[in-house]
Amino acid sequence: MHPASLVTLATLLLIFLILSTPIISTLYTNPLPNTWPTTHAKTSVKMAFFVSLMPLFVFMNEGSEVIIYTWSWTNMLTFSINISFKFDIYSIIFTPVALYVTWSILEFASWYMHTDPNINRFFKYLLMFLIAMIILVTANNMFQLFIGWEGVGIMSFLLIGWWYGRTDANTAALQAVLYNRIGDIGLILAMAWIAMELNSWEMHQMFATSKNTNLTLPLMALILAAAGKSAQFGLHPWLPSAMEGPTPVSALLHSSTMVVAGIFLMIRMSPLMESNPTALTLCLCLGAVTTLFTAVCALTQNDIKKIIAFSTSSQLGLMMVTIGLNQPQLAFLHICTHAFFKAMLFLCSGSIIHSLNDEQDIRKMGGMHHLAPLTSSSLTLGSLALTGTPFLAGFFSKDAIIEALNNSYLNAWALTLTLLATSLTAAYSLRIVFYVSMGHPRFSPLPPINENSPSLINPIKRLAWGSIIAGLLITSNISPLKTPVMTMPALSKMAAMAVTLMGLLMALELALTASKQVSPTPLRTPHLFSNMLGFYPAIMHRLPPALTLTMGQVTATQSLDMIWLEKIGPKTIQNINQPLASMTSNAQKGLIKTYLTSLLLSLTLIIISPLMF
Amino acid sequence: MTPTLFTLSLCFTLALTGLSFHRTHLLSALLCLEGMMLSLYLALSLWTLQLDSPAFSLSPMLLLAFSACEAGIGLALLVATSRTHGTDRLQAMNILQC
Repeated sequence: MHPASLVTLATLLLIFLILSTPIISTLYTNPLPNTWPTTHAKTSVKMAFFVSLMPLFVFMNEGSEVIIYTWSWTNMLTFSINISFKFDIYSIIFTPVALYVTWSILEFASWYMHTDPNINRFFKYLLMFLIAMIILVTANNMFQLFIGWEGVGIMSFLLIGWWYGRTDANTAALQAVLYNRIGDIGLILAMAWIAMELNSWEMHQMFATSKNTNLTLPLMALILAAAGKSAQFGLHPWLPSAMEGPTPVSALLHSSTMVVAGIFLMIRMSPLMESNPTALTLCLCLGAVTTLFTAVCALTQNDIKKIIAFSTSSQLGLMMVTIGLNQPQLAFLHICTHAFFKAMLFLCSGSIIHSLNDEQDIRKMGGMHHLAPLTSSSLTLGSLALTGTPFLAGFFSKDAIIEALNNSYLNAWALTLTLLATSLTAAYSLRIVFYVSMGHPRFSPLPPINENSPSLINPIKRLAWGSIIAGLLITSNISPLKTPVMTMPALSKMAAMAVTLMGLLMALELALTASKQVSPTPLRTPHLFSNMLGFYPAIMHRLPPALTLTMGQVTATQSLDMIWLEKIGPKTIQNINQPLASMTSNAQKGLIKTYLTSLLLSLTLIIISPLMF
Repeated sequence: MTPTLFTLSLCFTLALTGLSFHRTHLLSALLCLEGMMLSLYLALSLWTLQLDSPAFSLSPMLLLAFSACEAGIGLALLVATSRTHGTDRLQAMNILQC
């Protein structure tokens, strides 16, 4: 067998074995050791990471992509469902990135969730999520992808509702499941269409047999699926609500891995989307609206995790825009670099939250630069990487995306919205850094600010290294599939940096006027729009359910039960006959003696009269 | 008029008069009703002998059956009246319309 495929198959088996051993060990009745999260769970992910580097190095050396068929699960005449794994450029690079980030997050979680009595179960859930995610990205057929898709959705539900005693957490978990379900409708629709028309769920067969078919319907369905999972506009409220879960959950699921599953699906299906301008335009416009809307919402939030969540949503919109530009590789690059700095931002916010005794409101933080220097430096580093500072990780992906945007034949409105959102990225990043690290402390001097634990520092440092060099590493080791435009006017080339700088300077100016009392309160209407998330949750969580339930009540209870089974059926006879009977019986007054006397009198007269006359 | 016919029609007429002119008790009206039925029964039973025709021999039995039903209904009404009004006196029935 070819060495590349042998290595890949061996490492795949090894990774699954390594990751599932801790989970299976929890099924035995032997009590787990005290340090199980650190010694077993985190170590297994660390080993899996190093093992997954093997196929990565083989790929970087040879450029070979591998598809592994294990066995055929079932077949119905001509349609068969198999277990098959695809190790192309996307899954080979994503798996080590995801494992590296998960390793750091698990180490952080052993510090953050240290006092939780169910910490073993927490780690088990995280590992199960990781396995489902790897199944999703290495899937070569839609069925396996669906298994991974549902797996990550369910683990997201269980992890968001980790502190289930809290009502808000339960509501948020339910919200996540429901919005994901709406997306799942799209995925199942696409799977059904593909099974009917293209006769297989294997990706290479789908791509080969779909050359001349009109793919608009399944692509619309797949875009719905991606919108549900990746929180695009319309199905986005679950992502900020998902911050009810513990910070490691937010860092792993809702910034790096799960929410990119939708974008990953789009990347996998990009050969189908290339020739369909409707789908591409829809992706473009949806992504542009998402990125601007969520960036606007991030500007006035006061919870540090919510700002980072909206930042994630904004970057997901940017990835969707890239898909709409027909540049799946750039979107994938952004997924990988985004994972590093977003996870680090969440880890830093978790460190700050714990240090300030579980305070999440940025208006009650401040001056952390002197009190928690490593954390606030990493926060600044992550924010710089997020805004696309040259030669940090985010620059390689974000700048490439903006350049491609400026040089493509596309909707000018989408371009404008995306550039505006890029400048707002700098604004809200500055807001976080300004409120958290700069200025004077706005909290009481009592909280236990301590960042001396190695399980806190090492993950942040690792992810910081990743935020610095990941972009450079990945771009220099893979070859681009589409040639980027190399020559453009200077302003186009500098567009991303120019708008970012403008956003940063305006935000800085606004922040520094706060102490000068230019106006005591902000303008009510825009501030309210941004703070209440555009009123989208307030309207959509009340009105459509009320209308739907009323419609259900009207059709089921009123029209079927009350009308057909009561008024028209049995009660008709009663309703017709009773007025007749009562009207008739009310006609006489019941004077029986009078009636009978008149009878007797007339009888007597009839008998006697012939005798008289 | 034969004595039989005269007796039977007189009996019927007297019972009818008693039914029409009941004054105090409802039970007396019901008794007169029974009397009417009794006279009719006698008339039908004597049909065969008077008119030498055995054709309608079944009719007295039918009349008796229906008269029994009617008596049952009348007594049920009497019981119901005495339950709701407390008495079967006729003065009570006009006072409270119920």
